[in-house]
Amino acid sequence: MKLTRRHVTVGPVALLAASSIGAPAVLGQAKARVVVVGGGPGGATVAKYLARDSNGAIAVTLVEENETYQTCFHSNLYIGGFKTYDEIVHRYDALASAYGIALARSRAVQVDRDRKEVVLADGRRLAYDRLVLSPGIDLKYDSVPGWSKEAEEIMPHGWKPGRQTQLIRERLDAVPDGGTIVMIAPPNPYRCPPGPYERASMFAHVLMGTGRSKARIVILDPKESFSKQGVFMPDWEKRYGAMIEWLGPKVHDGIKSVDPKTGTVVTGFETYENCAFVNVIPAQMAGAIARDAGLAPAGGYCAIDPATMKSVADRDIVVLGDACNAGDMPKSAFSANNQAKVAAMILRGELVAAPTFPARYLNTCWSLVDTDDAIKVGGRYEPKDGRIAAVETFISQPGESTEIRRQTQAENIAWYDAICADMFT
Amino acid sequence: MGWDGIKLRHAQSPAGFVLLGAFGLLFGAAPVQAAGDRALGEYLASECTSCHQLSGRSPGGIPPIVGWPEEQFVAVLNSYARKERGNQTMQTIAARLSRDDVTALATYFASLTPEP
Repeated sequence: MKLTRRHVTVGPVALLAASSIGAPAVLGQAKARVVVVGGGPGGATVAKYLARDSNGAIAVTLVEENETYQTCFHSNLYIGGFKTYDEIVHRYDALASAYGIALARSRAVQVDRDRKEVVLADGRRLAYDRLVLSPGIDLKYDSVPGWSKEAEEIMPHGWKPGRQTQLIRERLDAVPDGGTIVMIAPPNPYRCPPGPYERASMFAHVLMGTGRSKARIVILDPKESFSKQGVFMPDWEKRYGAMIEWLGPKVHDGIKSVDPKTGTVVTGFETYENCAFVNVIPAQMAGAIARDAGLAPAGGYCAIDPATMKSVADRDIVVLGDACNAGDMPKSAFSANNQAKVAAMILRGELVAAPTFPARYLNTCWSLVDTDDAIKVGGRYEPKDGRIAAVETFISQPGESTEIRRQTQAENIAWYDAICADMFT
Repeated sequence: MGWDGIKLRHAQSPAGFVLLGAFGLLFGAAPVQAAGDRALGEYLASECTSCHQLSGRSPGGIPPIVGWPEEQFVAVLNSYARKERGNQTMQTIAARLSRDDVTALATYFASLTPEP
């Protein structure tokens, strides 16, 4: 194609005019400032994509108190002995060195929405033009009577990364043959819908593989049904016989209390005494920083605009991942990573007049049932009627061939490598 | 498997030339070949990179897609859309991609070089 002189000379002027029409919110200011709170799949991804794709035009600060990030995703594979702990720990160094992201190693304690500043635990105040909150979940310690913050050492949840993940594995290793594990599953909506059931699978895998086939795992669930139930349950029977017993609320008649001192769990129907290990996965809500900023109803999650991932309460704040109410999208690392890319595209459009496109979303969650035997669930989503709505979904089928299950697990492993590379390298 | 090689409509095709030329005159912008497609491809590709590494690396299980010839890229995505290839995740993704989306993605990934 030939370029005419007219095209070449007029082009830059027109481009300048176009970017002025785009009216960046921070026109006249040297650099747009985006502060990102939380270095998980939502926060790390949005920070990287904003910094990488704006060629230095956006100053990105990532606030994260931890030096390393342990993924919650694939923590069940660590518990099941399929990965070492080191394999699920990642560093933030490349985000700073490769993309120029400023790392603020502190905890964000408050959002001053009027002054557009984030207050850090070390006293610093970070001014922002746009704020991204991706703080993940907080646990509702009062959602299971008798359980508490203090009791989480004895009856661990393992639903936040770090020491809790390791505690789950230690408790599992200490279960004697013939011992009873009780898992209290969480009510909806919560982080990683298939997670408790993949974890129960990993418990059974470890117990079977270490000569403890007389141990049993009782899942007490406040829900009538759970993610991938139609695939998990026949697989459990096939792989682990009667080792895993799932009880819905109509059967157990309510989880009345736990006693960490004696290892007791009381339901309306039965009392489980001298449990070898009780895994309490409590009810959850948006992380405190988002709730305290007035972006979520009490004990709930942040409402967002499905076209932009922005809080409906504050157009200068984006909320990503587990802390937001993403409609039909589950609370998963995949979802958070995916939402971050929509947010990065929208924010670049506003701040540096980059092209924008209609939001579209995607998720897939893989779960390992046993060696080389994984299942998945997923779908695509779009904004509809003020929420993120599922357009098409899929799920593994019971009775699939061993080859399909093996391929699904290979996909699971490859996905982990890819999403971690996408977040951290 | 049907890699039936749907022909790409490149900007240098006669129709594309006329369209792009008219666009350039109307808006006074220098016509840059597939500039809009590049931005669209880059945005859409961000969905792919959750599973397919931008470096082109892969431990197996999920194929690398960096540096593929465009026609092959288009043909494979179309075969997923028609459910001739059998991965549920890819079928679901391909089903919603328009022809322009697929072309933009193919152009974008073809422009990248796998890292060693």
